Amino acid sequence: MTLAEGTQLVSFGVLTLTTIVAALGVVLLENIVYSAFLLGGVFISIAGMYLLLNADFVAAAQILVYVGAVNVLILFAIMLVNKREPLAPLKNGWIRRGLTALVCFGLFALLGVVSISTPWSVLPEAPNVGDTALRLGQHFFSDFLLPFELASVLLLIAMIGAIVLARREFVTSSAVDGDDNLIFRLPERPREPIAPEPVESK
Amino acid sequence: MFVLSGYEYFLGFFLICSLVPVLALTASKVVRPKTPGVESYTTYESGMEPIGGAWIQFNIRYYMFALVFVVFDVETVFLYPWAVAFHKLGLLAFIEALVFIAILTIALVYAWRKGALEWS
Repeated sequence: MTLAEGTQLVSFGVLTLTTIVAALGVVLLENIVYSAFLLGGVFISIAGMYLLLNADFVAAAQILVYVGAVNVLILFAIMLVNKREPLAPLKNGWIRRGLTALVCFGLFALLGVVSISTPWSVLPEAPNVGDTALRLGQHFFSDFLLPFELASVLLLIAMIGAIVLARREFVTSSAVDGDDNLIFRLPERPREPIAPEPVESK
Repeated sequence: MFVLSGYEYFLGFFLICSLVPVLALTASKVVRPKTPGVESYTTYESGMEPIGGAWIQFNIRYYMFALVFVVFDVETVFLYPWAVAFHKLGLLAFIEALVFIAILTIALVYAWRKGALEWS
């Protein structure tokens, strides 16, 4: 084993360990904010994996999009609803936990069997194709042109859906007519522009 | 071949970046005067007193900005390979990229019209 292979192996081991530990932390920690930050750690470790596979552009995109944008979005979503409310413990909680454990273990077993039985085409080493961004660009505008253009449509749909949902323009009729309290329990709905409170200069 | 070839600069920057917080904390620990007191244990010594908890409910406007940011972040990632391979692609690719940008300009106009880009 040369020094390069050793470095690669150690990097892979460290990245794998970080990914697994952080992913377990995401699931097991009680505090949801810590879970969100650990999810960012998982994304960064996955980006390191991409680097080991010679996919530098994918690694950069992973950090830019997942760590820089998606994870921040998740954190904002948590901060939006992060009200500490005293929750009553569920009756028969162990039944739910048992069922959840059963389903999760079944899924895990299924995925494990699939991943073991699938005949992966394993390359002896990560292929080096030179400038990956250049190759990606050439593929985007030749044989992957339709997915590339569809991606823009998908982004447009996502944007419109996100704005419609976030602005909460459509309030269900039951919320308006029926239960009077429900409308007050809905999150903030910034329809009319509200003047910001004057900040006292210190 | 060594997979991580060409990452020497990255390694250098990574090491320097890892050293910065360690050096900053140890240097201030060495230099600072040691006068224990009640003020030393506050969050910001000789700063503003923090009021209330650190975990507050964020304004939904941050979320709107983050949503818009995600969309244009992904757009940037898609456009970067086009810019790199620009001199190898023909006129057709330029028009295709213009179509891509045009569709996302519709998204920008929609967000603008709906007031998602305004703070208040």
